[in-house]
This record gives sequence, structure tokens and C-alpha cells, in this order.
Amino acid sequence: MKDPLKEWLGERANTIGIIACGFRRANGKFLCHSNDTACPPDKMERILRLLDGTRPVIAGAGLSPRWSNWSFGQGQIRFVTRHDGWMFAVAVRNETEIARHLDVLATEFLTLDLAR
Amino acid sequence: MATENENQVTRQVLFVDDEADFLQMVKEALTPLSEGAWTIHCATSTDAALAILDRKNLDLVVVDINMPVLDGIQFLNVLNQRDPQLKKVILTGHATEEKRTQSIANGAELFIEKPHAIEEMKAVFAMLDDLMNWAPQQGFQGGQRRVSLQDVIQMECLGRNSSVLEIYNEHVLGRVYIEDGQLTHAAGGDLTGERALEKLLSLPGGSFELVPFEPPPQRTLTSPWDMLLAEANRARLAAEAGQNFGQPAIDAETLTLATEDASARVIETLICNGHGEPLYDFGCPDAHARMTFLLTVANQAALLTQILPLGEFDRLEMNLSDGRAVGQANTDRLIFIRATHGKSAAAA
Repeated sequence: MKDPLKEWLGERANTIGIIACGFRRANGKFLCHSNDTACPPDKMERILRLLDGTRPVIAGAGLSPRWSNWSFGQGQIRFVTRHDGWMFAVAVRNETEIARHLDVLATEFLTLDLAR
Repeated sequence: MATENENQVTRQVLFVDDEADFLQMVKEALTPLSEGAWTIHCATSTDAALAILDRKNLDLVVVDINMPVLDGIQFLNVLNQRDPQLKKVILTGHATEEKRTQSIANGAELFIEKPHAIEEMKAVFAMLDDLMNWAPQQGFQGGQRRVSLQDVIQMECLGRNSSVLEIYNEHVLGRVYIEDGQLTHAAGGDLTGERALEKLLSLPGGSFELVPFEPPPQRTLTSPWDMLLAEANRARLAAEAGQNFGQPAIDAETLTLATEDASARVIETLICNGHGEPLYDFGCPDAHARMTFLLTVANQAALLTQILPLGEFDRLEMNLSDGRAVGQANTDRLIFIRATHGKSAAAA
């Protein structure tokens, strides 16, 4: 049986515009993928850890986002969390097709069957 | 200040410009336009201007920017120290968004481009005359400096106020009517309705003033105010097509993001200046906590860019179970907007 995460990653991770993406599994382990030397897997893991560390700040502000989007002049970072503990972050370049479809990626991640 | 002469109030107006020919033209044009209501003083240097200030109680000082020794913006600061209540206007032949921002930040009530024709001189006269006749209204003191048109309209609508927003620059005079928190009519130039609203909100510079409500001559706007603002902003973005007219307080995309669902309802808005002073607060349970949150977000964004350089932080957008929230934090502005979804999202 195929791993749904790896299957999804294979379909999505190399989309033009994606700099890097990464997951934190429910067991706390990280799986990161990079398409750009600007953000190798270890940097993507640091980004995921940083975003995970920001969650209490956001929760402390009375906000419980299903996803958050950090927009910068040249790119965006989308961070999605699931109730089962999985997390996903993707860094993309602005002015690319994928930058306009981050909601689709977030929704797909939220509905992936990762229990298998 | 103004002097009484045979029951007529004479306004004392000083023009400061190193171009003597321009001052001559101003005096020759404005004296008849004022029909004796203005006494116009001219100074070709800031020294001469200060000498006149020592002798006269002035109602208004109109200053050029490009002057030797002390430029117009520096002179505004001198005037602020001498008389904070004195009304000040910048009149320049080299208008840029940066200079406009600097001028307003340094206390100019208006920033106007120099007129080149008599028709333009009439518009300038009207603006200056209006400014001298304007007195701060209760409930609208301070705070409007560097606040965009969108901010003011949003404030009035959220407060369910009734008022008329008069907007003018050297090219356009427009009015936006707000009645019980809804936009009812907009007129600017030859346009009315949504097209007029779009045009007025797209003006790169000028001035605006809230005046007491009066019924509009017609009703040309019927959609909810937040939809109209969002649509005007979308149209403005499309029209700008890459041009940069400077960053409004709540930029178009932020507002659109927060309310992109047509039935979205803004439930919280906080706008603070760079010193952390609230300029506008609607529905915010704890402004200080929100500011602290936004500053923390800015710090986290800075850490993110250290790991992956993606340019200057723009905003944090959050998708919530009941709507969206958008936070912006930069050196001169902190903004937080939260909106709830309408029926369509709630049912989803």
C-alpha cells in the first residue's frame, strides 16, 4: 500500500514556485523537501520549528487558525496544522501559479488520510 | 489672527517661496479671488517670513519645499515650535508621495501642487479658504493625519455615523455621503456612484475633511459599505497595474483579504501608529495585547527572513474557523483586522 503522504509529496513538492516544504509528523519527526539551495531541508525544518513555536503566541491572542500565511515581499510561507498533530509548511515564490493556490495545498493536507 | 474691518473678517495669509515671480502671480491672482477677505503677505526667504511672523498674527502660512538654507519641511518644524496652532500648507512644484508624507508628518494640513493656470489658482484658493474656515469638530480631533480615506470611511461606517467626506486635490473635488453607517452617494468630477468612489479612493494625493451630514442630492450607492470599499480597492489595484502610489494605512489587499467573502463582517479593527498609539479601535477587546501580539509577529517574521530571505514582511493572514484575521506590523503602522464569514461560509 502506498504511503499517502509520499504520494501527495510526489505530486506536489516539485511544483514550480515551491522553494521548499516540510512536515512534522504526529510523532514529532520531520520530513523536509527542498527545490532550492536557498532553503535546504535543514532550514525548512528550522522554519517548521519556528512556526510551531509561534502557535502559543497566536493562541494567546485568542486565535486558532487552521492555517496561517506569512507574506513577504518576494515570497510566502504557508503553515497548516491538523488536529492529529501533523503540521505542514511550504515556502513559495510570489508571482508563481502555486502562490495563488496555497489554499488548495492547505485543504489537501488537511484532508489527507495520514492514519494509514 | 483675522482682523475685523467694516464687519468683514480679513484673513492674514503668508506665502513663502524663493521665486519672487511666483509670489507676484499668487498675489495678483488671489487678491481679487478673495474679494478683500485676505491680506496676502509674501516672503522670498524663511528669514523674511519669520520677520513677518513677528509682526503679524497670521491665519495661514503657505510654504514652498525647495528653498535655499532652510527647506519647506524644515521650516514647518520651525513654525510648529513657534505656533503649533498655526495652519500650514505646502505648495510645491515637485510633488512626490515621499514629500507629501513628510509634509503631513511635519504638520502641514494640506499638500498642494503649484497651480499653473488661473483655473487651478481658483481651486487652490478654495482649498486654502476652506482650511482657514475649518475648525476641528468634536469627535474628530487629531488622529486623521496619515490616515487614509479608506480608514476614515471605515471608521464612519463602523461607527454607524452620518457625515459627508469632502475630498479634494488640484484636479478633483468629490464628496462621499455616509448615512447611518452606510455609503449612500459618491460624486467626483463627472462621475457618480461606484465609479466616483473608485476614482476618489484612487487619488494619489490631496486632502479630505469630514463635514456635518446633509442629505445627498441622489442615492447612487446601495451595496453594503464593506463590499463597496473592497470593490473600489480591487478596481484601484487593477488600475494601478504596478504603479506605486504609496502605501495607504490599510492597503487594499489587506482589506480585501479580511473581507473577501462578500458577506464577511468586520468585527475588530485596530490601527496604531509607529509609537503604539491607537489611531482607531473598533471592537478590539484589548488594544495593548493586540499591539504586543503584532510586535511579536513582526519579530517572528524577522526570524523567518533570517532563515529564508524572502524580503520585507508584509502581513500575517490567518484562516479561522469563523472567518479571517490579518495582521500587519511595520515601522510606522500596526494593523489588525478580524472578519467573520457570512452565511455561505458558516454553512460550509
